[in-house]
Amino acid sequence: MRIGDAKQTYEADEAIWTSNTQKLWFGLLLLILLLFPFMADSYLLYLGCLVGIAVISTTGLNILTGFTGLISLGQAGFMGVGAYTVAWLSLNTGLPFPVTLLLAGLMAAAVGILVGLPSLRVKGLYLAIATLAASVFLHFIFAEWESVTGGMGGLSLEPAHLFGWTFQSDFRMYFIIVPLAVLMVFAARNVLRTRVGRAFIAIRDRDISAEILGINLLRYKLMSFALSSFYAGVAGGLFAYFYRVVTPESFPLSMSIFYLAAVIVGGMGNLLGGILGAAFMTLVPEALKLLTAALTPFYPNAPVFMSPMLEIIFGALIVGFLIFEPHGLAEIWHRIRRFFRLWPFRN
Amino acid sequence: MFRDILKKGRRLAGLGSLVAALTVTAPAMAQDKEPIVFGGSIPLSGVFAFAGIHLHAGLTDYTSWINSQGGINGHPVEYVMEDTAYEVDRSVAAFKKISGSSSPATYYGDSTGFMKAIASELNSMGTTLMSGASFATALTDNEQYPYQFIPGPSYSQMFGIILEYIASQGEGGDMPNVAFVYSDTEFGKDPIENGKARAAELGIEVVEEIVTKPGSVDVSAEVLKLRRVRPDYVVFHGYVLSPINEFMVQMRQMGLDTQFMGTFWSSDKLIIDKMGADADGYMGVMPYNYYDSEESGPMLDALRAQAEKSDPDAGYRPTGYIQGWFNAMVWTEVIKRTLDAGKELNADNMAAALASIEDWDTGGIIGIPVTVKDMSFPVGRIWRVNAEAGRYEPVSDWIHLD
Repeated sequence: MRIGDAKQTYEADEAIWTSNTQKLWFGLLLLILLLFPFMADSYLLYLGCLVGIAVISTTGLNILTGFTGLISLGQAGFMGVGAYTVAWLSLNTGLPFPVTLLLAGLMAAAVGILVGLPSLRVKGLYLAIATLAASVFLHFIFAEWESVTGGMGGLSLEPAHLFGWTFQSDFRMYFIIVPLAVLMVFAARNVLRTRVGRAFIAIRDRDISAEILGINLLRYKLMSFALSSFYAGVAGGLFAYFYRVVTPESFPLSMSIFYLAAVIVGGMGNLLGGILGAAFMTLVPEALKLLTAALTPFYPNAPVFMSPMLEIIFGALIVGFLIFEPHGLAEIWHRIRRFFRLWPFRN
Repeated sequence: MFRDILKKGRRLAGLGSLVAALTVTAPAMAQDKEPIVFGGSIPLSGVFAFAGIHLHAGLTDYTSWINSQGGINGHPVEYVMEDTAYEVDRSVAAFKKISGSSSPATYYGDSTGFMKAIASELNSMGTTLMSGASFATALTDNEQYPYQFIPGPSYSQMFGIILEYIASQGEGGDMPNVAFVYSDTEFGKDPIENGKARAAELGIEVVEEIVTKPGSVDVSAEVLKLRRVRPDYVVFHGYVLSPINEFMVQMRQMGLDTQFMGTFWSSDKLIIDKMGADADGYMGVMPYNYYDSEESGPMLDALRAQAEKSDPDAGYRPTGYIQGWFNAMVWTEVIKRTLDAGKELNADNMAAALASIEDWDTGGIIGIPVTVKDMSFPVGRIWRVNAEAGRYEPVSDWIHLD
């Protein structure tokens, strides 16, 4: 039983691993992630890939909104930039996927910096509207710049490839998406324990105070936008390789809201929250379908009346979380951990 | 207490398995042949639910009907679906789930986005033939979508049928001119380029093009543009209702005698129900006979009887119901042809069977024998709203594009 978490040095405070138990659990998680595709059917594998993409994008948005306090409704637009970059590069240059994904991230980061410029003057809801406008603008470019984006019909691309290997099936895509998701979450964790991460948090908590402390707001706000958009760009690139078709309608505004909801439901300013939020938002609608499946043998018409009900239940679950646990799923997770840490003692 | 819950859970799981096993095996035992599965990603919730509910009813009722007729060559038919909320990722998830558990021979896709996203997987699987709610022109590309077909004319072909009708109104006199009003979506823009090219071939001048958001309400500026050019016909595409009603009401208030036309998804009774007398004269292209039309035929009668049997209180069945039924009818025909030829039931053989359909009598669902061309049924008829009677009535013969 652990009874304390005393940290006596700055290094200990910054350390990613605080105990050997943590390393053990993380190793176990990696093992499960590694074995999962060998045991899962195509449906579960698909959901696994989908959660992986959502985790990357949510982590990016969490850096911007959760850690830096800048609300963005442009995440789907940035993902679109990444997806179109991958699609265009794949069709016109034949570059392997690590290069296209990197360039997708960089292109989205560049666009993110431009979109982030208003954040120097406005914040809160005003910034949300500014990013919303950027999202609409990007959608317009996706739809109208036909020579590059293929217009409303979009672009179809070949599977991801590397050294003669093609990644056509979900099974193979899993081995791109999930390791990248792990790597990028890890990288985010790493960034957030550096000066850069502390600067983000200082800006979130009080930007004027942060500036007085010597933090260059222009630099760090744009850096946060760039980093967040980079994550979105990579997630968009993976989305493109996963579905192998990109159209302007692949990245609607509702997708940006989806990711913002994932950050809020999971727990803002908490990387684990982003992961749990992404998994929750992706998997719960699927899990709720089990209710319909259970009722259908008794009421053949169950799908017709249960389907809209499930949407309501899903919405109610989100509202319930916000009311009863405003700190999100991450806090619930921490409470469960605390319970087991103290077990069998209650207090 | 935890043990009690576990015990109850196990009991329920056991009961569920028994029910599931009986549900699956009962028809198979009765007919002694492997069931054939129709799969479907169906939008029972979300923005397309207004149609999805009826598509689902059409598919469900057809499955009941075909099983009452002995199934397909003695094989019972099962219809396995999941709700998608009209979201591509959920449609794909449903496809993966149903493909993994039920091996469907044919599958209903709920959107063009889904049909495009699933194409590479469908092509590599090679087991399933797909059609659905989409009439997108892109799906007629046999190279890219060899296992997907359109259960009617593509949107471009619908424009072709509309323009042929308009051209026929100008024979022996001035050729009418036309304006296209379409939504700023993939759906809306789909037939426009082909429509303009076809109009030029027929000598019809396209005097104005207007793009709006789907569901727009304030279209006053666009109406003024149309007043300037005074088109003989306005063809709407990419909408279900709004802003068609706004355009019609405002242009009529301005005293214009323009005629209004629309494509499949904007040619249902919804327009009559919502607009009342203002809908009078609106015309739509429809590849199927309406449920309440005066036409008849053995299959159309069977459809009406089955619809009445399954829900006697439902009354009129929208075009989505007939579209769902017709999809399943085509699947049945294709599967039957494949089995009759002694071939394996795979996507290649079913696609070949589909391509072999020539002068097929649909039993009154479509008024003339139909031939498949480029994985579609390029046939339709122009119907006009008779607001007083509260229904569409035919104003042209059936038009089959070559």
